Amino acid sequence: MAWRRALLIATLLILAVVIELTVLAPLPWWGATPPLVLVVVAGVALSFGPITGAVAGFAGGLLLDLAPPALTTVGIAALILTVLGYGLGRIFDSDERPLWLTTVVTALAAGISVLATAALGGLLGDVRVRWDDVPGFLAAVIVYAAFLSLPCVPGIRALSRRVVPEAFPR
Amino acid sequence: MRELRKARLVLALLILTSITLIVVDLRGGVGGPLQPLRTVTTAVFGPLERGAAAVISPVQSFVQAVANWGDQQATIDELTMQNEQLRAQVDTADVDRDRVAALDALLGLAADTSVDIVPAEVIAVGPAQGFAWTVTLDAGSGDGVSEGMAVLNGGGLVGRVVSVGPDTATVLLIVDATSTVGGRLAGSAQIGIVSGTGRQDLMTMQLLDPLAPVQSGDVVVTFGSQSGRPYPPGIPVGVVESVSGTPGQLTRVANLTPYADVSMMSIVGIVVNPPRTDPRPVITAPPLAEGS
Repeated sequence: MAWRRALLIATLLILAVVIELTVLAPLPWWGATPPLVLVVVAGVALSFGPITGAVAGFAGGLLLDLAPPALTTVGIAALILTVLGYGLGRIFDSDERPLWLTTVVTALAAGISVLATAALGGLLGDVRVRWDDVPGFLAAVIVYAAFLSLPCVPGIRALSRRVVPEAFPR
Repeated sequence: MRELRKARLVLALLILTSITLIVVDLRGGVGGPLQPLRTVTTAVFGPLERGAAAVISPVQSFVQAVANWGDQQATIDELTMQNEQLRAQVDTADVDRDRVAALDALLGLAADTSVDIVPAEVIAVGPAQGFAWTVTLDAGSGDGVSEGMAVLNGGGLVGRVVSVGPDTATVLLIVDATSTVGGRLAGSAQIGIVSGTGRQDLMTMQLLDPLAPVQSGDVVVTFGSQSGRPYPPGIPVGVVESVSGTPGQLTRVANLTPYADVSMMSIVGIVVNPPRTDPRPVITAPPLAEGS
């Protein structure tokens, strides 16, 4: 059922946005904020493939662009997460992957998202972008994404099998 | 193969939509065509963030207390020392009574120009890797908050309200790289423009007078804006750390440390009523004498 899949993904994304902005971001993390929304998009893409991955990435990114206190240009996170959702779903779609591999690719995707955010912001003339902060963000976000993906990616896959069994024939 | 074609089509459509959004938002800005979208999201996510913050608040204070433990130990030592010094000073208290009376009178005067504030709590923070320094407060238009109001905490100026939902408000912090505040050196009344740098502990002040006397330790307060929006005059902003005169540049730049620690905020105040715009009496020139 398509609507059950949509409902599951919408719930996961809204939860992730609220938790990232109210629970994770206010805490004094080293370096950067743990990228929960990105990890959830990765989990969805690795469970359902490129189309759902791209749509989930677009939706999650748009929520991050719009939910308060976001003030940055609308569409940047949506664009980046769309491409990452598609890419992850495309490359790692076909069958069950080992945990270390999903962890590595999620962390890689997180690193790409940091670079892409800075590059897009810089291209669009955002004076906030400071490239000397980027290496710190990069290291922190990669580490946090790896740790978050350990429970989140298998968790989302198990949940997906439970809620939308017809998407997983085997 | 067909599946892949469909996936590529979806990808292209979504990328196109994203880029359209970016372009529309960049051209339109605040109040542009995307404003309804922002308004709806704020109305939906405001209550969600408030709810989550209420649940998570005790956990957060605990984690922050743990993270602050070293600082607190240093604070305790410092306070113990200060306490001893103060105890010695108490003996001279009687001498200072006259000065207290004078200060009291000053305080009465200050109350005349004081500001009304609405207290609010920080409930959400923008992710650090997004480069912007913004927070969400749990007070909105229903509490009398509107765009352009200044936000303070016990330390000093924190930022200004840039968008308001029914029960939340988004604040642009003064350390954000796009934030500028008119500043005045408290001692010499020299004015300048205080800009954020994107670093939580550093702001820069461009002094308009290149020969202005300024040294580290000087206090910077707000210069004040038209009818107190966004910034009422006289609110402490930061303290000068160092001064660098750039050769070839007409203005000198002072590096400031903001008074308000934006990384550890919980309760802040929103200025809903700036001080009276003109609390001073008008001095009328005497008429000119005949024949002079």
